Amino acid sequence: MMAQEVLLDCLGEACPVPLVKTEKKLTTLAVGDILVVQIDHSCAMKNIPEWARKEGHNVEIEEVDDGEWEVIIEKVK
Amino acid sequence: MSEVNVTPSPASRISTGRRTGTRRKPKKNQIPYGIALFVGMLAFGIYLTAVSARLGIFWLIGCCFGFILQKSRFCFTASLRDPALTGSTSLSRAVLIAFAVTSIAFTAVKYGAHIGGLPIPGQGSVAPISLATAVGAFLFGIGMVIAGGCASGTLMRVGEGFGMQFLSLFFFIVGSLLGAHNFGWWKITFIDKGPRIFLPDIFGWVGAVAAQLLVIALLYVLADKWENKKLG
Repeated sequence: MMAQEVLLDCLGEACPVPLVKTEKKLTTLAVGDILVVQIDHSCAMKNIPEWARKEGHNVEIEEVDDGEWEVIIEKVK
Repeated sequence: MSEVNVTPSPASRISTGRRTGTRRKPKKNQIPYGIALFVGMLAFGIYLTAVSARLGIFWLIGCCFGFILQKSRFCFTASLRDPALTGSTSLSRAVLIAFAVTSIAFTAVKYGAHIGGLPIPGQGSVAPISLATAVGAFLFGIGMVIAGGCASGTLMRVGEGFGMQFLSLFFFIVGSLLGAHNFGWWKITFIDKGPRIFLPDIFGWVGAVAAQLLVIALLYVLADKWENKKLG
């Protein structure tokens, strides 16, 4: 089965809502799936990647616009 | 950042493939605005210094504090929330280190005044402690997690332009005004009932620093152990 890519819209949500949503969403995905979390709260840019990396997932951050980021998480386990 | 993506991971390949087509708007160069703002800040600082040197120093410290807070993503809310939420204690430990540094520095300032025979600065901030302290701290904790930031964090994010926190700031001001208006009553009824404790009066100057640093070190070790246990 193809790995799927899921978009999670957290624009306008303040910490820690994006992190909690990411945690919940990631448990519903399969290994190899990719979750793209859209955020515009700067502190979510720190705590989501930190959490995901400590959980052992692959993470990338991209600033798609001024003050708007996408955290790309590849679920590896 | 670097440890994960030494080799291009599938995530990077897919994301770049996906992203090019979707939404990259050409980003506006913000550096001219930054320079203009910096010049404005300098000019205002010079103006304030002309009015009063103290105001100039307040302005300078405030600007530096805001800059460091924003760039370091130092968040007092997260330092207390993340251990419970994710098990991460990196910010908690950062706050503990900051406490340790300020404990030493403030003791130095106070001790310097004490041996010089001068009045010790900042003694008005030695507030009485009682159950009111704990209840107030608990309420503040609930509030700051819901609002997404403590006082400094909220101000910093308003400066970043995060819309929801304009709302936090508005009610932060409303609450502060109400609190200031009724503070006399709270002070007489609850706050002044507690004892005022200034640690050097009890342990001596060296003992006070040692006791405080010991408690901080203990919390640091606990925070480290907690993170290892939760995130292993």
